[in-house]
Amino acid sequence: MKKILMVDDDVDLIEQFKPVFEQAGYEFAAAYNSREGLETFKKFEPDAMIVDLSMEHFDSGFVLCHRIKATERGQAIPVIIMTSAGQDTGYRFGTDTAEEKNWIKADDYLEKPISPRDLVQYLGEKIFKA
Amino acid sequence: MSTPKAKILVVDDELGMREGMRRILEMQNLQVDTADNGTQGVEMGVAYEYDLYFIDLKMPDLDGTEVLRSIKLAYPDAICIVATAFASIDSAVTTTQLGAYRYIPKPFDPDELVHIVKIALERRELILQTRRLQEERQKRMIEISREQSRLRTIISALDDGILVINQQGEIVLFNKAFLSLLELKQTIAVGEPFQTVLPQDMSKQIEALLSGNEQFKSIQQEIIIHPPAEKVVMANFTPIIGNDGTRIGLVSVIRDITALKKIDVLRSQFVNMAAHELKAPLSAVQGYLELIVDKALGQSTDLYDHYLTRSLDRTKALVSLINDLLNISRMEAGTLRREITSLDIQNLIEQTLSSFDNELKQHDLTIKTEFENNLHVLADQHEMQRLFNHLIGNAIKYNVQNGSIAISTNRDGHYVKIAIQDTGIGMTPEEKARLFEDFFRAKNEYTRTITGTGLGLTIVKKIVDAYSGMIEVESEFEKGSTFAVFLPASE
Repeated sequence: MKKILMVDDDVDLIEQFKPVFEQAGYEFAAAYNSREGLETFKKFEPDAMIVDLSMEHFDSGFVLCHRIKATERGQAIPVIIMTSAGQDTGYRFGTDTAEEKNWIKADDYLEKPISPRDLVQYLGEKIFKA
Repeated sequence: MSTPKAKILVVDDELGMREGMRRILEMQNLQVDTADNGTQGVEMGVAYEYDLYFIDLKMPDLDGTEVLRSIKLAYPDAICIVATAFASIDSAVTTTQLGAYRYIPKPFDPDELVHIVKIALERRELILQTRRLQEERQKRMIEISREQSRLRTIISALDDGILVINQQGEIVLFNKAFLSLLELKQTIAVGEPFQTVLPQDMSKQIEALLSGNEQFKSIQQEIIIHPPAEKVVMANFTPIIGNDGTRIGLVSVIRDITALKKIDVLRSQFVNMAAHELKAPLSAVQGYLELIVDKALGQSTDLYDHYLTRSLDRTKALVSLINDLLNISRMEAGTLRREITSLDIQNLIEQTLSSFDNELKQHDLTIKTEFENNLHVLADQHEMQRLFNHLIGNAIKYNVQNGSIAISTNRDGHYVKIAIQDTGIGMTPEEKARLFEDFFRAKNEYTRTITGTGLGLTIVKKIVDAYSGMIEVESEFEKGSTFAVFLPASE
């Protein structure tokens, strides 16, 4: 069973995503800020992470990604940023080039809103495609 | 045109001569006074400025030349005709040098006299006219210089900067405010080209306006004055149109709009944050409803019920956010109507507490109160209720299960002090520092499931400020907080 860790300060979002992921056959854990995110990452050992950018501080998602990608396990798993930062600030980050990927320390970048079902489908088709 | 009769003084010691001249001249509709000796002639001639003087040269008491000298001294413009039976080159030269208008030998016939007088009076009229014109001019000059200095005073006293440039691009006029608003340190000489003086963007605008052929009415430009301070000025350019309809230059009025700009930024920040806060609960509700409508989790109804409850909570939070926003905007617009009465503080707090009965039971909270008797404030009851609703509501919301709330009131100088102490989650120093920021909410594992708008304390602060009160906060993270409100006591 693949393990997903979602880091987002939006309680409602977690409430909505958790059962859909579990129904789709994932083991799901949530953390609400980057500190909790890092702790859960170490204990839970996820197969993929979904990280929001603007939590307590705007850069906290970035910082979390950096910390995770600095570990061996972090290097091995896909880390996906899912944020409404682009909508809020008008600025969009990208992962089109290796340089961009390296800069934001994430493997992909998704813009909110995205429904739980779409995210499950995305993971199945793009991240965990056998 | 009826001019007043011209007045003539005849100074002659000969009765026949005086009366003869009077008869002839009065027939010409002239007014004639006579003096029968030189001394009287000087007296009369100096006391009043006649239009014409006839002076006999040879008089026993005082020579005619002396009479002439005295009169000319008093009235340099006086027209004096010297008449004498003893005409000589010498006396003619002397009297002419003294300023006599004419020198005529006696005897003369009436026609000659009338003719001479007529010409002399014409000359007199010319002199008077010139004098009137000069006086008028003088008066106008004084008026103009007064007007100019008044205008200059007004222009230099203006808070707005004024700059006038002619069509050739030369600076014609400016005031002190203009120099200080644009932070121009050097003094400017009138006639200097504007390009050497003005900031570049303003210079470019003026260049375009002056070189363009098309007429413009009035143009505004915002100019950011760079270092040292952040300052924005609004420059208004208006063409100056000459009498022939062509443009002869332009006038620029410069106004400091830094404060307005700052308010603008704050307002749009507030709108931005408000929109964000309004969107969050709606997005959540949308997410829940989509899952329910799509039956994304099959037919399992337990979770859907939970989602509906959450949606309801979020909707309630949204409504209270909108109420808070309306409240703030009413307070800021000054349209809030306050009905000021003397309110008993103990009453107010007890009423508020009873409205929270359910919540208190839910959290198993103990209430301790300590009221000083007979404390009153002059305030609007609804507003005071809102104030204590927010403060006591917070003490409940951010408390722990089985915690307690201690409320005490006492007189503190001119104030009534109301302290509300909770045994709740408290705040870190960083959170406490941002407590009164619009939309700020502490985010940690304790607050995650507590709903709030982030505007409660903004409203509390506004209400307390409206009554010239104060608010003090003490807090320790994971121990609790104390909010103390000071309101002016009413006797």
